[in-house]
Amino acid sequence: MAGWFARLTLNQKLALAAVALGAVALVAVPYPGSKVTLDAKELALVVGTEADHVEAPELAAWIIQSRADYRLVDLRSAAEFAQYHIPTAVNVPMNVLTDAGLGRQEKLVLYSEGGIHSAQAWMLLKAQGYKSVYMLKGGLDEWKDQVVFPVVADNPTPGERARDERLRSISAFFGGQPRSASAVAAGSTAMPGMAAAAAPALPKVAAPPTPAGGPKPAARKKKEGC
Amino acid sequence: MNPYLAGIGLGLVLLAAFVLVGRGLGATGAFNSVIAWAVSSVAPEHAKGNEFIAGYLTDDGSSPLKSWLLFEVVGLFAGAMFSGLLAGRATVTTEKGPRVSVRTRLAMAFAGGVLMAFGAALARGCTSGQALTGGALLNLGSWAFMMMVFAGAYAVAYFVRWQWR
Amino acid sequence: MAMMAPFFKYGMFGDETSLVLAFLIGIGFGFFLERAGFGSARKLVSQFYLNDLAVFKVMFTAIVTAMLGVTYLGWLGWLDLSLVYLVPTYLAPQAVGGLILGVGFVIGGYCPGTSVAATATGRVDGLIYVLGIFAGMFAFAELYPLLKGFYLSGDGVGLTIPGTFGLPYGVVVFAVVLIAVGGFYGAGLLEKKFAATGE
Repeated sequence: MAGWFARLTLNQKLALAAVALGAVALVAVPYPGSKVTLDAKELALVVGTEADHVEAPELAAWIIQSRADYRLVDLRSAAEFAQYHIPTAVNVPMNVLTDAGLGRQEKLVLYSEGGIHSAQAWMLLKAQGYKSVYMLKGGLDEWKDQVVFPVVADNPTPGERARDERLRSISAFFGGQPRSASAVAAGSTAMPGMAAAAAPALPKVAAPPTPAGGPKPAARKKKEGC
Repeated sequence: MNPYLAGIGLGLVLLAAFVLVGRGLGATGAFNSVIAWAVSSVAPEHAKGNEFIAGYLTDDGSSPLKSWLLFEVVGLFAGAMFSGLLAGRATVTTEKGPRVSVRTRLAMAFAGGVLMAFGAALARGCTSGQALTGGALLNLGSWAFMMMVFAGAYAVAYFVRWQWR
Repeated sequence: MAMMAPFFKYGMFGDETSLVLAFLIGIGFGFFLERAGFGSARKLVSQFYLNDLAVFKVMFTAIVTAMLGVTYLGWLGWLDLSLVYLVPTYLAPQAVGGLILGVGFVIGGYCPGTSVAATATGRVDGLIYVLGIFAGMFAFAELYPLLKGFYLSGDGVGLTIPGTFGLPYGVVVFAVVLIAVGGFYGAGLLEKKFAATGE
């Protein structure tokens, strides 16, 4: 067997190697396509411990501190985004999530209206190998509830006073206003000024501190041609 | 060097580019970056107004010279020089056939370069970027391009043989 | 083993490192181009006079090598092929561009990459060719408004042969290997037939 192989010239050996490799490649499937691999146990563990949650007040603090080490992603439609979005967020609707060019090593914080879409998007990205994906717990609902229109006590104790002052200033930073605890307890679920659908009750996003970190997905279009 | 071995070497370099950076080789883009830089240095408004050139300018104001292909082409120059010196093939000379003068040859070289630029611009690449890179990736446009390059060259070769023979 | 390549696309290093890699990769590129003798216009155009088909041999060997490489790496799941940049297909301008490029190749004696290699090894005609490219590219840019329509005709998406013709990727890979190897054999025969006298 070795005999005839040794008698071939180098070129002939190379040709043989090429054809052999090509033949084996006949059954190759090189594109992973859009398939995802899930380590069910690992993901279940993370979900159970809520390790990948970010609470609304936490996020508020990051924004106020102008932290730039993460990317805030709004998963809703462009129209909803235009009406209101959390300052410093970028709009990446669900249907273009995988094409958006989000960096796999970037720290991403996802949010949607409530928690469902962000949870689903979280699952998608984790399964595709994104390393640092977090969700805003409770989504925009919680954001409004805890940050923009926080509940403050009617007759605060000294301890509560300090807390309420903080909530007030945070709420003011984001253009909102606090709600009184008694009103909420009385069953008034409407946020101040949110009754009218026409008037955008939530504050328009003024010039928020834009994160200095990484380029936005759209601007990243470097020429990759030849 | 045995052309097949040189080809394997080239192929491995190309593969390294794919694996490390997720893109292939090229050359034409480097020329475009230099032109974009030159034009924007002399006449910035004109550069931004020209859609083709503007494509090679950056959004954040950094120099168009910071282009991947330009760095690659500089490396190409260095690597080729090294290999040529190693093989004793590096001499200042003009490649031409015995029947033409140096001036004619240089004029033809210039003309060839001009044509090449148009061809490469239309095709979005040249033999390095399109044929090699696109060929390896089974890119449809690249294979079509490659075949047309051979077709065009063979078609005209007969008519310019006086330059080489 | 999890998908980790292309490393740059997975955020393993930044733009600065990518540029350094570009330089290093370029060195390899230029080295092998010159090794193959492609710093010489006469060697290059010999392809088109059928005396020396090194251009075909080197090009197709490189293509087959890299092609097999990405196929196997993709198959093993080590390389995410969908993240490797595919030049968008614009069939008409690319076909016409190819024709023009071929003509420019045989008239000028080089292609952009090899012209740089030639200049690096002292070829004056290589240098002039490079200047020609600059001139031509600048002219193209100035004429762009006129050419834009044709330039943009086509799909503008990255199309692959297997994808377009609905063939399994591996089948196309094997076919390319066979075509290449067959071509190499044929090239050997042609070279013997058209061997130039005193080159």
